[in-house]
Amino acid sequence: MSNETTKLSATSNIMIIEQEQNESYFQLVWRRFRRSRASIVGGLMVLILMVLAVFADFFSPTSISQIDLQSTFIPPQIVHFIDHDGKFHLFPFVYNYIYTLDPKTFKVYWQEDTSKAYPIKFFISGASYKLLGIVPGNLHLYGVDKPGTIYILGTDKMGRDLWGKSCEAGRISLSMSLFGAIISIVVGSVLGVASGYYGGTIDNILQRFTEFVAAFPNLPLWMALAALVPKTADSFTVFVAMACIFALLSWTTLAREVRGKVLSLRETDFILAAKEMGASDARIIFRHLYPNTLSHVIVILTLTIPGVILAESFLSFLGIGITEPLISWGLLMRNTQDIQTLGQNAWILAPIGFIIAAVLGFNFLGDGLRDAADPYAAM
Amino acid sequence: MLSYIFRRIIIAFFLLIGIGIVSFIIIKLPPGDFATRYQAYLLAQGATGDSALHAAQLLRQQYGLDQPIPVQFFSWVKGIVTEGKFGFSMAYRKDVGELIAERLPKTLFLALLCHFISTVLGVGLGIFVAPRKYGFWDNFWAILSFIFTSIPRFSIAIIIMYIVVIDLKGHSINSFFSPEYVIAPWTWGRIVDMFAHIWPVLIIAGLGGVARNLRVMRGNLLDVLGSQYVQTARSKGLRESLVILRHAVPNALHTIVAYQGTVLPYMMQGELEAAIVLGLPTMGPLFYESLVNSDIYISGSLLLMYGALILMGNLLADLFLAVLDPRIRYS
Repeated sequence: MSNETTKLSATSNIMIIEQEQNESYFQLVWRRFRRSRASIVGGLMVLILMVLAVFADFFSPTSISQIDLQSTFIPPQIVHFIDHDGKFHLFPFVYNYIYTLDPKTFKVYWQEDTSKAYPIKFFISGASYKLLGIVPGNLHLYGVDKPGTIYILGTDKMGRDLWGKSCEAGRISLSMSLFGAIISIVVGSVLGVASGYYGGTIDNILQRFTEFVAAFPNLPLWMALAALVPKTADSFTVFVAMACIFALLSWTTLAREVRGKVLSLRETDFILAAKEMGASDARIIFRHLYPNTLSHVIVILTLTIPGVILAESFLSFLGIGITEPLISWGLLMRNTQDIQTLGQNAWILAPIGFIIAAVLGFNFLGDGLRDAADPYAAM
Repeated sequence: MLSYIFRRIIIAFFLLIGIGIVSFIIIKLPPGDFATRYQAYLLAQGATGDSALHAAQLLRQQYGLDQPIPVQFFSWVKGIVTEGKFGFSMAYRKDVGELIAERLPKTLFLALLCHFISTVLGVGLGIFVAPRKYGFWDNFWAILSFIFTSIPRFSIAIIIMYIVVIDLKGHSINSFFSPEYVIAPWTWGRIVDMFAHIWPVLIIAGLGGVARNLRVMRGNLLDVLGSQYVQTARSKGLRESLVILRHAVPNALHTIVAYQGTVLPYMMQGELEAAIVLGLPTMGPLFYESLVNSDIYISGSLLLMYGALILMGNLLADLFLAVLDPRIRYS
């Protein structure tokens, strides 16, 4: 008898211990997220692009605001390990380019000046800058001694280093898409919750409205609205206006998802219990309903961003989106529209790489998050 | 069934009116009315002040720009419905309706061709990869379709243009035909020549659509292949190819039909993007040009056209689905 009781208490002890070891929701999400390699890679890609954008001054060998009309359209400089005489160097170096002009066609030819090699130095001081607009500094990740230059992706029409400029352009491209996506999330959540929670006439009206907005052709309307933003407006207004334009049409998917989720949760026991205890609508919505839809909201946020990045780059590429002095990946590619310029300077296509990396990164990340957001479902 | 079709058409009609209102707002949103802008445009073109003012007044009377906004909207819609008049284009000096009539068939032709190709290819590939779940070809197409949907379409257009014009020293691709075929009657050679010109658009707009259709078809087919009647068909001893093609595929196709409603906008936008970069004379470049020149009647009218086309596509997909699948609830 006593033996049995000890056994029983032992099992109950084990049960208690097991309960303590239960993993929290976020641990479960993280565990499932970690399993998918693609989403880890996607997350890393996004993170790297963000770091490059924020610390663009540090990653660019020259000042990112530099305009040098002496060095326009320099092709990408190749990083060498083996010099002109066939000797191997342990530390990489670059040669400067010198240009020759064809006297007949005025075509510019760039050739490596192999007389002097410029070894690449890391963490060297150069042009001073203010990190995040506050912290002064002059350290650069890499660079070469003057008069050497190092343009690993070449330069554009204004003689700007395309690598540094592309890093910097990420600031606008990423922050605008994030900002636009967040606005659309807020609008979509409010309408979705209202529609699902209150139901009836409100639901009917909101659903018809959502259908109406979803029926619109996104790209043409974005283009038409972006073209209406006055050319003379200041940078901040342009930024906010563009973000709002993108948000205007992207909230419909989210509103539908949130509505569906709220509809299914509305009749569950814990919501009914909260109602019975006399909780106000606001409390039920903000404490009980909305947090339960949050994982889906975050997934849709990550999947909305790439769409905005693609649209923004196309509009800026056409010259009806972001305008100077702001800079985005699409705007950097503006000169590629001229087939003559592109034909002679193919490297000005470089910002495409950043756009593709960002879109792929967010897509991978969103895909992984979608699987992980519901960790209780069977794989 | 009939009442369902009727209701769908009524809803589409109201949506069309809504799209019309938004397009009209786009036309009316810029400061000043169209006549003052036309006046400034004429002055910039070197007309004398008097003649410009006169032309502007004429335009204002002709289009009733001095009337209240709702009346203007009503007469705009009336003009479109009864006379096919969409408004006046400054740059082309003719009615936008004529421009649309010129370019709409080409746009529709391209978009529908892209749509057709991407549906056939996407569904075919979906049927091909679904039985090979997580196999080499499945992963291969999964990665490829991820990439297709991630590369900005305008940059594919630039790269194709670069290859054709610079590397291959090819003919210009900003037209539908080579000069010798422009007014020639339809022959086999003319069709070949046309495809030699429009293949970049088909690739740019089509590839993304192929990827989307493939993903949807694969998912559906996998769902269906897991159901019991498929197991029954297999246990009867039917060949696997017969099981898939005769029993599984027809039941997986419904979602593809429903999905066409979202593929069509994607095609139209792909066509828009590619045609603008390549300069193909469809509605796309006209739309872009009008936005840059703020030739606002073209912008508004084309926006309306795009909206109407997509709406029509959705409506057709819905109706077709209702005919195809009797399980659809008509509510």
